[in-house]
Formats: sequence, C-alpha cells, structure tokens
Amino acid sequence: MNVTTTRGKHAISSQPQEPAQEPGDPDERLVFLINEGKLLFPNEYYPLWETACNKLSHAGYGALIPLSYARHSPKLVKILNPEAAINLAATVSLAAIKVNRAAAELLPKAAVVAAHELKSTQAFSSWVTTIEEIIYHASESLLAVLERTQKIVTTLTPDQFKSWVLTGLRSTGDDALRQISYFSFIDPESEKWFRHEAGDVVFTDLDRRLKLYLISLWSLRPPIRDLPASTSPLSLRRISISNGVVRVPEVFPGFHDVQAERIFRAGLAHVGAHLAYSTTIFPLGELKPIQVALVSLLEDARVEHLAMQSFPGLRKLWQPFHVAKPSGPKLVPLLLTRLARALIDKEYKDKDGWVQKGRDMFFDPQNDMTDSAMCRKIGVLLGNDLGQLRAQFNAKTYVVEPAYRDDNMGLWDFGDQQGQEEDNDGIFIEAMRMDREEKDDDSQDSEQEKNENTDDEQQYHARESTDSEQRESEVAVRYPEYDYLTGSERPNWTCVLEYFPDFGDAYKIERFLEKHNNLVNRITNLIQTAKVSLPERLHHQSVGESLDIDACINAVISRRMGDTPDPRIYSTTERKHRDLSVLVLLDISNSTNDKVKTADTSVLELELQATSLLAYAMSELDDPFAIAAFCSDGKEDVHYYRIKDFNSPYDATARAHLAGLQGKLSTRMGAAMRHATRDLVDQRTHRRLLLVISDGEPSDIDVDDQQYLVEDARKVVRSISRLGIDTFCVGLDAGGDNYLHKIFGRKNVAVIDKLEHLPEKLPMLYLRLTA
Amino acid sequence: MNLDDYLITEEPYYSSTHNEIQLFEAAYANRMPMMLKGPTGCGKTRFVEYMAWKLKKPLITVSCHEDMTASDLVGRYLLDAEGTVWHDGPLTLAVRHGAICYLDEIVEARQDTSVVIHSLTDDRRMLSLEKKNEVIKANKDFQVVISYNPGYQSVLKDLKESTKQRFGAIDFDYPKAEDEAKIISHESGIDNKIAAKLVQISERSRNLKGHGLDEGASTRMLIYAAQLISKGIPLEEACEVALVLPITDDLDIRNALSSAIEACA
Repeated sequence: MNVTTTRGKHAISSQPQEPAQEPGDPDERLVFLINEGKLLFPNEYYPLWETACNKLSHAGYGALIPLSYARHSPKLVKILNPEAAINLAATVSLAAIKVNRAAAELLPKAAVVAAHELKSTQAFSSWVTTIEEIIYHASESLLAVLERTQKIVTTLTPDQFKSWVLTGLRSTGDDALRQISYFSFIDPESEKWFRHEAGDVVFTDLDRRLKLYLISLWSLRPPIRDLPASTSPLSLRRISISNGVVRVPEVFPGFHDVQAERIFRAGLAHVGAHLAYSTTIFPLGELKPIQVALVSLLEDARVEHLAMQSFPGLRKLWQPFHVAKPSGPKLVPLLLTRLARALIDKEYKDKDGWVQKGRDMFFDPQNDMTDSAMCRKIGVLLGNDLGQLRAQFNAKTYVVEPAYRDDNMGLWDFGDQQGQEEDNDGIFIEAMRMDREEKDDDSQDSEQEKNENTDDEQQYHARESTDSEQRESEVAVRYPEYDYLTGSERPNWTCVLEYFPDFGDAYKIERFLEKHNNLVNRITNLIQTAKVSLPERLHHQSVGESLDIDACINAVISRRMGDTPDPRIYSTTERKHRDLSVLVLLDISNSTNDKVKTADTSVLELELQATSLLAYAMSELDDPFAIAAFCSDGKEDVHYYRIKDFNSPYDATARAHLAGLQGKLSTRMGAAMRHATRDLVDQRTHRRLLLVISDGEPSDIDVDDQQYLVEDARKVVRSISRLGIDTFCVGLDAGGDNYLHKIFGRKNVAVIDKLEHLPEKLPMLYLRLTA
Repeated sequence: MNLDDYLITEEPYYSSTHNEIQLFEAAYANRMPMMLKGPTGCGKTRFVEYMAWKLKKPLITVSCHEDMTASDLVGRYLLDAEGTVWHDGPLTLAVRHGAICYLDEIVEARQDTSVVIHSLTDDRRMLSLEKKNEVIKANKDFQVVISYNPGYQSVLKDLKESTKQRFGAIDFDYPKAEDEAKIISHESGIDNKIAAKLVQISERSRNLKGHGLDEGASTRMLIYAAQLISKGIPLEEACEVALVLPITDDLDIRNALSSAIEACA
C-alpha cells in the first residue's frame, strides 16, 4: 500500500524536516522519537505513551504509522494534555484496522492541526469522537476528511462538524462512492451543508424567494447562479452581471441570519434596478480606472434613484448599508464610499468639497435622470478633480462598496479586447481575470479530486466487484444474450458494468428549467390535475356517506307504487391513486452527439433536457422513479450509469450526474434493459414501467449481424412483460419505426420526428401514458 | 309566480372600463347568450348585477360546483303527504318567468350538466323537462349568462366546444390603474393616493402570476385591503391580511410579496 500522505491540494503541509541527528532506519528512528518523547511527557505518563507507541509498532501496521504517531502525538501534550496524546493511539489503531494505513498515518498529524485550532480538551475529544464515527460508518472517506482538517476545524465547531458529518452520512446512505464525493467536497450538497453548519446564510437558501422578489417588482427573470464559496478570495466577492447572467456569491461573509437575507435582497434589488434602467453600455474608451469606478458609482446611484421613485420602500433596504462617515483620511476608496452615501442619503452631511461637488452635479435639476450619459459626464469630471488632488487610486485593490452593489462589469463594453484583457489594468478587467483564475482553480481542483476519487474508487471496486477482474466500476453483472439463430439464450454472455457517473454542471439543468418556465408551469398544472385526481362523486351506491337525493325519491316512489325499491340510495366520493414506478433508461451512445439541424444542439442535449423536465414532472407527482443511462463497448463492457435510484432523492447530485453524461460508444440495448429490470422488479407498485429513450438501432462493435441485437432486445422486452413490467420506447430516429416496432411492439413506441420538440413532448407523453 | 325577489332595486356601483355596457345591451336585445371571461374578482358578477338593474330584469344566479347535477338546475320531483310534487330548479324558474340566469363559474359543473342549457342557447330557446314530460318555451325576457375563468384549471376542465360556440363573449380584465384606484377609493372610502399605492402593490402580485401564484391580487382583494385601511389598519398590515396571506401558503412567495409591498410603501 502506498502511504504518501500529501495527496491533494488540501493536504496538510508537511512539518519541517526532523533534526539532522534522526537516524534513517525506520526502527531506529522510532526508538529515537520515543526517547525524544521523554522530554515532553510528565514522568507518570511517559511509560503509558511508550507502551502505546510500542503497541502500534508491533501491531503489524507497517513502520510509518507508529512513526507518525510517535512524531506528532507528543505535541498534543503541550496544547492539551498527556491523556489526549495517549488516547489517540486507540483511534489510530482503529483507523489502521478499519480503514487503511494512509489514513491512519495521517491521523496524528491531523489531530495536531485540530488541537491547535480547538484548544480545549473537550472540543478535541468531541472531534475525535466524530472521526471515529466516520471510521465506523464511512471508512472510505476518512482520508478525504483528514486531508481537509484545516478547513474544517477553522470553520466549524466540533458540534457543527459532527452535524455536517451526520448530514453526509444520512444523505449518502451506505453508498461509499457518494460518501467520498460528499466528504471531499465534490458533491455540491457538501459545500452547501458545510456553509449551512457554519451558520452562514447561503444564497441557495434564499434563491427562490429572491427570484420571486425580482419577478414581483420588475417582472424580471434573469438567470441567476451562485459562485461557489470555496474558491474565490472572500474579500473581493461581489455580485456580478455579465451577458445577462447574474452571478451571486454563495455567502456574504460576516452577514448572518436576517442581515444576510437583507444584503442578498438589497443586492438583487440593485441588480433589478440595473436591468430595468441601465439600458446603455458605456464604451471603455480612454477612461482611466478611477473614472471608470466613478462613472459606475454614479450609474449605481442613478438607477437606484429611479428605482426608488417607483418603489420608495427600497430606500429602507439600501440606505442602511451606506455607513461612510464624513471624516477620516481622504483616501480615494473612502471618498468614493462617502460620495455613494451622499447620493442616496438625504440626511447625510459631508463638508468635503469634492463630495459636495459630486452631489450637486448629480442632483442638478437640469440632468436627465433617465439618461445614463449624465453619469459618464460627471464621472469624468470628478475623476479629473481627484487626479488634480493627486489622490492615489489602486484599481487592483479597489472593491465596490457597499457590499450589496455589483462589480459593474456588465456596464462596460471592453470592445474586442478579449484577447488582451490580461494586459489591462482596471477593476473590471481585474475582476474578469479573477473570475477566470477562479475557474481555472476550480477545474484543477476537481481534476485533482477526481483523480483521488478514482483511486479511492478503485480500492472500493476491487473489493465490491462480483467479477473476478479488477474493474473501474462498482458492480459487474453478467447476463445471458439471446441468439435468434439458435433460438436460445447464451448464458453469462454479456457483462454490464456500473460506472460512477461524472459530475456535470447541475446548473445547466436548472437554467434550462428556468428558461422554459412556461413549459414547466404547464406541466405543473397538468400534474396537479393528474395527481389530485379530483374526487369523483359516485351516485346510486349501496353504501356511502350521504344520501343520493334522486335515488331516495325514486325509491320512495317505487315503494308507494308497490314495487320493490332500489336499495342503492347513497352517494360517496372516491379518489383515484397513482401507484406506479418508472425507470428511465437513456441511450447515450456516440450517435447522440449528432447535432440536430433545426435546434443547433446535440441529440444527447435534447435527451437530457427532456429527461430533466420529465424528472421534474415525476418528482412533483411523487411517482417513484429512477434514471439510468447506458452505452456499450463490446459484450464485455456494457456501461451502465445510475443517475438516480428509486430510493435516492432527485437532488443537486442527481442533476449534476445527469448533466455530466456524455455520448460515447454503442448501443447494446438488451443487456442494459436486463440490468435495469433488476431494479424495477423490486418495486412494490401496481404498475412498473421501463421507459427507454433511444436514438438508434441496437448495435455494437463486436456484432456484424444487425438482426442479432434487435432480436435480443425483443426477447428482453417479452421476458420483462412476463414479470408484469411495461416497456415503452421513445424513438428519436425518424426512420426507426421498423426495428422499434419489432422490439417493443407497435403500441409501445412513440417516434418523435421533430427532435427539438422532445423536451416538451416527453413529459406530456409520460402523463398520457400513466394517466 | 313572481320573480320580484330577484329584481335588483338599488343601482350597484359599476365603473365601465370599455364599451361592455353597450355590448351587453345589444346582446340582450337579441337575447344572445353571453359569456363573461376574466380572472376572479375583476367585476364580472358586479357587471351582471348592474346590467340586470339597468335592464330592470330579475337576475337568478347559480354558483356552479362539481357536484351539481342537471336536476339541481332544472328541478326535480319531491315528495309530500299526497304524492310527488315537481319543484322548478333555478334555470327552469328563469326560463318560465323571464329572468337573466347567471351561471357563475360554469366550468366547475360537470360537462353533462352544462349540456342542459344547449337547447336554450340556440334558436330553439326551449327547455324540455324529461321527468315531467314537459317542454317549456322560454319567456321572452329570458337570457343565459355564464362566467368563465380561463385560468389554470382549464387544461383538463374546459367547456365543451359545442357549449362554447353558443355564446358571445366579453373579456374582462382588471381595470386600468387609474380606474382601479377610483373603484377602490369609491368602495372603501380611502383617499385616491393610498388607493393608487394599492394598485401599484397589486401589480407586484400580478407579476407573480404563473410563477407560483395562479392569480394575482384581484380588485376585490384590493377593496378589502382598502376597507381595512379605512378602519385604521396600517397599509402594510392591511396588505398582509388582505393580499398576501389569503393568496398563498408558500413561504417563499409570501416573503417575496411582503418584501415587494415593503418596497412600494
């Protein structure tokens, strides 16, 4: 086993090299370190510690674990107490047994980091307990957590840490891969809960209500997405609008609870004001950075002024963030905040001549407030004044204040300087550059983490695989395949391998849903009627909770006429219930990469969009559903990706998986359907449906006979139907009637001829199919 | 039988927004069946009352519901000590004695129910009571008016095509801002400025239609809010009571609406 511990970006930086006299041989080195410990431990504790060290070294964990323990644990004596150092040995031993050597070796080092930060014995022992919790319930993830000790202990208290871990355990179930992705912060949910535990109000908590707020005020529905908090430097984070996309920091550090909601709301209201009133874009021209900053500031004030004319209450929202004082050193950033306040706060008094001048020019009754040209004019003049005062302005460190205002990048036209941005100095360009660096960081990070992940995965699979070979996938199951030439099934012929799906951009899906709001609304309404299945009044019943007046009268009439009255004189109401589970199986073979001519997107893209709408519909309907995708590379390697299982929620993780799908390889449909059936069989619903979305004829690289896979798929459909499972296929191949009818039966195929309508049609088809 | 109880004696307040009064009068002159379309609380019912008053005809209003049967409209045999007695339903009453029969929210009624008006809404103008074995020729004053809210429920619940095509329609919407403010201040007695503010607030809520709200705040709701204000309740609280809480249980929408109201105030 490889025991280098400094993998990954977040790895704890290695301690300074040990003193030169330390011997090279591991055994000697251990003896040396144990002797060193004598100086650090009080007399009565030293023997206990020595025993602990020896126990570790004789337990057969290899040389590195006892070395790491002997080197790091004595540091705990000084920070906490000797007991903590000695007790740690048990946990290290536990990690070595239950997890692996790498994690056990890292543990003492991480413990020192934690102790440094936590300081109290109680907090430290709580931290250790949580680590043990991970050892027992998510052993595969221990290394990932230990590597991130610094980040965790500096942000979360031990209780919060525990709570975050428990959230992770609960939301990932027993799925080790999901656990790893959670604890290494790959899973987007992870960072969110982390922030949540840290007490920050995260944008996603408020996302919906703030979007509704914008719609309510201005009928604006800009695409809004949050910037992950983990990557960018905290001090420089502002809302940003570019190309109509609003990007909001996930948190505004330092703003909690109500304050956090206020600043997000103020920020979005400001964005709304820009979108409503900032109609022109300023050309950058020859402006100096200070002028750019000033024009932006004035434009901010102008749009807020206009917004407050319509909505006077916005003043109460914005003004409290302006806290500049009319005194202090005349530094440019401070002067700018004073000017900003002077332009919004009528009561504010500032004796500074420059601020006064700015205010007078801005409120000059001759100005046309609806025209942003005034901002440019005044901004340039005020900028020149500052230049004459020889006031220093550093564009690189300048941050827009107050924090709710956006970085104003969207106001400027940088011309076609896309290529040379890096050569320019200016806050906006700076911001742009940061932006890009962030992204780069991001991708490197995830790259790195992905690599780690695959390592871990591999360990995992090696054990889990039911196949004797070591595979990169979670589960490998062999299935028979039907050969129409012999009329029999060949046992154990194909091998379906479950691969861990990549994480894509979950926002892609949300953006799509947002963009097609109308469609979503239509589906929602259809769903409501389908779901509630309006109560139906049944008349003329023999039992029921109320009398059916017409039946009663008829009965009495019959009696008076001497006939036998009909005893069915009651009425009752009944509701129909949906009882159905669905597995959606997506074909992601290489041909799905083809562009659809009329829509300028690939078939796969449309498949994903349609599936996201469908998934939305299904989750709203509370129908149990699962999503999986398949492609194949010969009979021994049929890829199967679980996007969402029946028992897991349709959350950001599932959406990220969905967005991460890529078209590749071939279409061995039969094997994939056999595999999907395994899940569907266990569902205890009245109706079970396998919904296949495919764009082409079954085929594979190792099959020449076109007929062969078609016949196999047909055989699968028939055997599935014997299990009481319905199959339905949505064909995306206009000429596909032939073979699809053959496989699924004429009634169970819908061929979509205009592919661009797929996202719209699929949910409708589903509702019709399941009504 | 006398329909005097159904006559409207006092002039209902109605402020015309277009030429709907003229249109309706022309339609009534031909006894043309009319359909009033529009969102809830925009004044459809008030308009019918006003027209009935103006035309001096009795008005019989039936609120339709999904459990309503044809006999609820047409009438049924009831029992007394002697035997069975026929009781006219509201529709039959209007047909026999000449009244405007206003079927409110007709889509709510089951489709088989709304079919009974078919023979009354074409040139036959008659109603056959099968159980009683009687055919009634409609009184010369009789007219059918239905209201129809093309809202969200109409995806699955819609009028039959054959029903729709028997009607002329007038489209109603919320009045223009100034008109709406005038109506609000007339109905509640608050001054025009606050009424205008309420209208601005209603715009915020109507913007959310289709984004979680099925309908925005109606004129009726605004009048309620105004009435609260006229009794001394502060604006924001009155809006909360009359415009926000009744309309949604979704916390995010409530929050967005309340904040938007705050922005207007």
